[in-house]
Amino acid sequence: MAFQITGPDKESAERFAKAVFLVVDDFQGMRSMLRDILRNCGANASAIDMAANGSEAVTMLGKRRYDVVLCDFDLGPGKNGQQVLEEAKHRQLVGPGSCWVMVTAEKSTETVMGAGEYQPDAYLVKPITETMLSGRLARLWQKKGSFAAIDKAMAAHDYLKAIRLCDERLTTDRANAADLLRLKCDLLLKVGDPDAARKVYESILAQRDVPWAQVGLARLHFQGGDLEAARDLLEQVVDINRSYLEAYDWLARTQLALGDTEGAQAVLGRAVALSPNSVTRQKNLGEIDLKLGNLDGAERAFRKSVALGKHSILKTADAYLGLAKAYGGKANPVEAMKVLAEVGKEFDTPEVQLKAKLTEGLVHRQAGNEAAAREAARSVAELLDQSAAQLDSTTSIEMAQFMLTSGETEKALAVLDAEVRNNPENGQLLAEVDKVLEGTDLAEQGRAMIEATRLESIEMMNRGVLLAREERYEDAVSAMRAARDKMPANVRVLLNFSYVLLVALQKTGYDRDRIREARECLLRANTLSPGEKRFAQLMSLLENLEREAASRQD
Amino acid sequence: MDDKPMQADVSLFLASAVHDMKNSISMLIGFLQKVVNEADRETFPAWPQLAQMLYETQRINSNLMHLLTLYKVGNHLYPFNPETIPIDEFVTEVFAQNRTLLESKGIELEAEHDPDLYWDFDRDLVAGVINHALNNAIHYTRDRVRLVVLERDGALELHIEDNGRGYPSAMLDEGAAAMRGVDFATGSTGLGLYFSAIVAKMHRTRSHHGEIRLENRTDEPGGRFVLRLP
Repeated sequence: MAFQITGPDKESAERFAKAVFLVVDDFQGMRSMLRDILRNCGANASAIDMAANGSEAVTMLGKRRYDVVLCDFDLGPGKNGQQVLEEAKHRQLVGPGSCWVMVTAEKSTETVMGAGEYQPDAYLVKPITETMLSGRLARLWQKKGSFAAIDKAMAAHDYLKAIRLCDERLTTDRANAADLLRLKCDLLLKVGDPDAARKVYESILAQRDVPWAQVGLARLHFQGGDLEAARDLLEQVVDINRSYLEAYDWLARTQLALGDTEGAQAVLGRAVALSPNSVTRQKNLGEIDLKLGNLDGAERAFRKSVALGKHSILKTADAYLGLAKAYGGKANPVEAMKVLAEVGKEFDTPEVQLKAKLTEGLVHRQAGNEAAAREAARSVAELLDQSAAQLDSTTSIEMAQFMLTSGETEKALAVLDAEVRNNPENGQLLAEVDKVLEGTDLAEQGRAMIEATRLESIEMMNRGVLLAREERYEDAVSAMRAARDKMPANVRVLLNFSYVLLVALQKTGYDRDRIREARECLLRANTLSPGEKRFAQLMSLLENLEREAASRQD
Repeated sequence: MDDKPMQADVSLFLASAVHDMKNSISMLIGFLQKVVNEADRETFPAWPQLAQMLYETQRINSNLMHLLTLYKVGNHLYPFNPETIPIDEFVTEVFAQNRTLLESKGIELEAEHDPDLYWDFDRDLVAGVINHALNNAIHYTRDRVRLVVLERDGALELHIEDNGRGYPSAMLDEGAAAMRGVDFATGSTGLGLYFSAIVAKMHRTRSHHGEIRLENRTDEPGGRFVLRLP
């Protein structure tokens, strides 16, 4: 029987007629060719916009909602296609329902390096034909339809529901089975159910060596503390799939956790040689080099990360701060100060201002300029008074240490106190705090204060739950609200507060303000510590309350 | 400037030059396709030449793609990416890419596959193999080419059959040797077959990897190229 191409079917032709398209390519010839192809597929001329470079594309994405973006990877000077995609996703200029198709002249590790959430929906290798484009888009639309309900549940952070929807689809949808399984595993990790995720990975791997499932399993080993197993599996992956960069990143992380800093340096070095244009990977390499005292290497990697970050939404202040530290280490405080001035301009947040001042102090101290170091410490103290900056634990410890040795003992203790308040059950952190105090004049006083804080915090964390158990809901809510105000970054407090709020709501009925308060707490807890089982359960409970309230209103 | 003789890694230039050419050739193919589609075959006298131009351009493109991919695979720069592919969609795309050539030569393509079949493989690599085999078949066939895709013993088999004179026995005997590389004596670059063999091998499961084979048909005269993927 002779083979016939039916062309876009009726349904797909209607989709083309309704959709709004953006074509991004630096060649006029390619742009008009792609427009002609779209027109032949049934697209409306007025629904096809064109951009000649990355920043033009970003501007247009900000002004109009596009159903389909056809974007060339190579866009000449400025942003490349991947960076446009990253910015569009990060700024939510494209939703989960729109299709992003990356067009490349060829496939290489460079052009398909998008990781995790920053992957396009499809890659098309030139030359592009009408059949190819209409076929792929028809399938993408079908797939988006399959995932629409799941995406909606995910947007509402109801991950338990999203998992149920994945399971439902998996019984019928063979074409998207791999993507559904992958998403389901990610979701299982988000809801704190690693055992279920492990079973899925293992069932996939019993069939064939699928790199993403291998890396997923290795991550579970890593999180479960079995670092050797994680390392062995990841080594196997990079050995066979030498272009699978995500495995290099996890291998380096595992080696760092094992204390094998040289090993991590070698692995990231290999990944960077394969694909030198990742902002994040270059920054990570710089940090490892800095740790090893390889200042030339650190300078090179941080510089590269900073330069790449100029066009990227993924730029980090840490690359600038690392670069300043590398210059400090090379006895070049002048260059270090230039970089720190720049970081203050690029990132205008209280956290970065504080970190920059701290780095400034450290660089001065390294250069033997004690007066300037103390001046910086005073500025840090002022900044701490002025802002409600939320610092990560590593920075807090580093800052406390610096302040303690710069005549700002009171502020140093306050920083440690806040850190303990937010993490009273984290043994590793408590040990680090203890180490900072060790051997100083304040050791005894500091330790007593820390211990009192620790006990008080644990008591406050649980008080609300106990009150709720006695059915004193209003007391429970005010007790936990007070605890939240005192320990704004304590994950257990945030979860307990939302729990108490939701239990109270179940008894007293729907209250819009309290629902909002609970949601804010939950999202904040999930940012601080992703993958908590209780987060997923409470979020699902919250969504159920919302649905019930909505159905009552109807 | 120092006087050290310049040392350049030629393979690197090769790769970047090929990349550059690929962009130009993609445009050429796009424009030629447009002209061929819009020109009226009956009234435009140079239509066969146009179709031939498109065919030759596609051949250059496919050779360049093979070269570039082999370079990248050798240097671990190829992002090998098996996905679940609907076979029906895959066959449609392959056919669409070769439609103009088939029409201009008056060759009929038959396709045979289960429309609900899905398989995991790297789409671009396997399309590269099948397009090459199809091109060969079109070149050597009398009037028909068959593309058969089926599941056999836990593997996916893609067959491309022609009804020409079949492969010469020397080629069948040396099938394996032909996959090793250039044979300057016969003038065959062997690039396509070598590429196909490498692509087959990259697809593997726990215990099996893919393979290619050449054979002659027994039901009627003609050759058959088989790509088997676990």
